[in-house]
Amino acid sequence: MTKLCAMKTTKWWTRFRLYGKKRGGRMSGWWFIGSLGEALFFAGFFLLGVFLSTTLIAWQLMSPSTQLIRIGYGFWLFLGVCLSFVVIGTVGFWYRVLKVVTSDEHREVLTHRGIVPEPMIRKTKSILPPTVPELGLYTDSPGARLAFRLPSQIPENGALLAMGVFAMAWNAMIAVFLVIAVENMLRSRIPYYLLLALIPGVYVAVRSAQLFFRSFVRTLGIGSTTVEIEDLPLVPGSDYGVEVVQYGRLVIKKITVRLVCEEESTYHFGTDVRTERETVFSQVIATHGRDRIDWGYPLRLECRCTVPRDAMHSFQSMHNAIHWKIIVDGEANRWPSYSRSFPVVVYPQSRTSRSTVAS
Amino acid sequence: MIRLLGLQPTYNPGDPIDFEYRVVHVDHAAIVAVEASVVWVTEGKGSEDLGVHFFQRLTGNSLAAIDWSIAQKVQCPLPMSPLSYEGKLLKISWCVRVRFYFSDGTELMAQQPFYLGSLTREV
Repeated sequence: MTKLCAMKTTKWWTRFRLYGKKRGGRMSGWWFIGSLGEALFFAGFFLLGVFLSTTLIAWQLMSPSTQLIRIGYGFWLFLGVCLSFVVIGTVGFWYRVLKVVTSDEHREVLTHRGIVPEPMIRKTKSILPPTVPELGLYTDSPGARLAFRLPSQIPENGALLAMGVFAMAWNAMIAVFLVIAVENMLRSRIPYYLLLALIPGVYVAVRSAQLFFRSFVRTLGIGSTTVEIEDLPLVPGSDYGVEVVQYGRLVIKKITVRLVCEEESTYHFGTDVRTERETVFSQVIATHGRDRIDWGYPLRLECRCTVPRDAMHSFQSMHNAIHWKIIVDGEANRWPSYSRSFPVVVYPQSRTSRSTVAS
Repeated sequence: MIRLLGLQPTYNPGDPIDFEYRVVHVDHAAIVAVEASVVWVTEGKGSEDLGVHFFQRLTGNSLAAIDWSIAQKVQCPLPMSPLSYEGKLLKISWCVRVRFYFSDGTELMAQQPFYLGSLTREV
C-alpha cells in the first residue's frame, strides 16, 4: 500500500514559540524557526568575518602609516581567525539552507556525489557490497597455519593504556613539584602550601602506579590470544576452519569460543550520545576443559564455524551497525575471567554462492 | 500513487526493480519538481540513517515534457546490500519514494516499501 503524506505550509504565527524543548534529535518547537535561527547565526558569523578581514586588509593597504596592527605574528593570527569565521559561516549557512530547501534523499545524493548529472544510480558491480565494512583491515595479517590472523578487540588494553598514560603524566607532574619543594627546603624556605597540596597528589600518584602495574601483570600473566581463520569474508551457509591459540603461563579452568552477531545503535539522549548493543546470535563453536598452559606450550584449539544460511551480513552505517565476531571467553585459576573479541566480516550471500549451496 | 511492477514486493540482490508513479487530482501545471528515489532507511533505537541507491529529479523542460495522463515508469538494478532486516535494535527497510513539489510551496510525498533479500528477522 502506498503511503501518502502531504506537507502543507500553515500560518507562521500559529507555530511560533519563543522556547522549544530539544528531545534528542527531535524538537518540540517548529523546526523552521530553529533552522532559520541557525542559518542567521552562521550568516552573522560569515558577515563578521568578512567585515573584520576586509577592515584589516583595507587599513593595511589604504593607510600604512596608521597601522591598526603591525604585520607580524599578531596580524596573521588575527587575519587567520577572521578567515576562519568566513569559512565556518559559509559552510554552516549553506548546510542549514540545504537542510531546508532539499529533501533528505537529495541532500544525501549531494553529500556523496556533489551536484551530479541525473539520474544517479549507485554502482552495483563494485567488489565491495555497499554498507559492508571494508575487508582490508581483517586480511592484512596472514596466519601461521590458516589464511588470516584476525585483529583483536580487547577493551582491557584500552583501559590499560589510558591508565598507563595517566599514571605517567601524574607521576611526572608530582615529581616536578617535589623537586621544587625540596629545592625550597634546601634554601631554608618551607613551602607549606605546596607540601599540603603534595600529600593527596603523592597518594594519587602511588595509587595510579599501583593500579597500572596490577593490570599490567594481569594482562601479562593471562597471556595473549590469537585467532586464525581459513577464509575471509565469511558467507552465510558456508563453514570455515578456525584455530584459537592461548599463550601464557596459567591453569585454564574452561575456555569457550563463540561466533556472535551483535547489533549496535547509537542515539542522542538529551545532549548525550549513547551506544547500545544487543547480541542477536551466539553459537558455541568450541569448548575446552581444565588444562595447563606454559611458556612455549600454548593451548591450541582447532574448530569449525558455520554462518547460518539465513544470517544477516555485516552492516555499517553512520549510527547503526551489525557486527560479527569470534569471542574467546576464558576462566583461569588465580586470574579473573577474561573475554577477547575478534571481529570478522560476513558478506551478503551472492547469487552464485546461493546456487552452490542449493545444489 | 506508486506501483511496483513485480508480482511480489520481494527482490533478490542485483535484480532490477521496475515501478511506476502517477499523480491525479492535482493541477499538473503547478508541479515544479518531482523526485523519485530508491532508498533504504534504518529504524529502531539508534538515530535514523538513510542511504540513496537511485535518485532522479525532474525540473524545467524535462518536467514540462511529461504527459501525466500516463504513469511514469522507472527501472533500476538493486544493490547487493544492505538486505531488508528486522532485528532487535534496528530494522533496515527499503522503499521507493516519490516527492512532488508544487508552486505554492506544498509538497506531496508517497512511498512504497519492498523487501530486498529474504531476511526479515534477526538470524
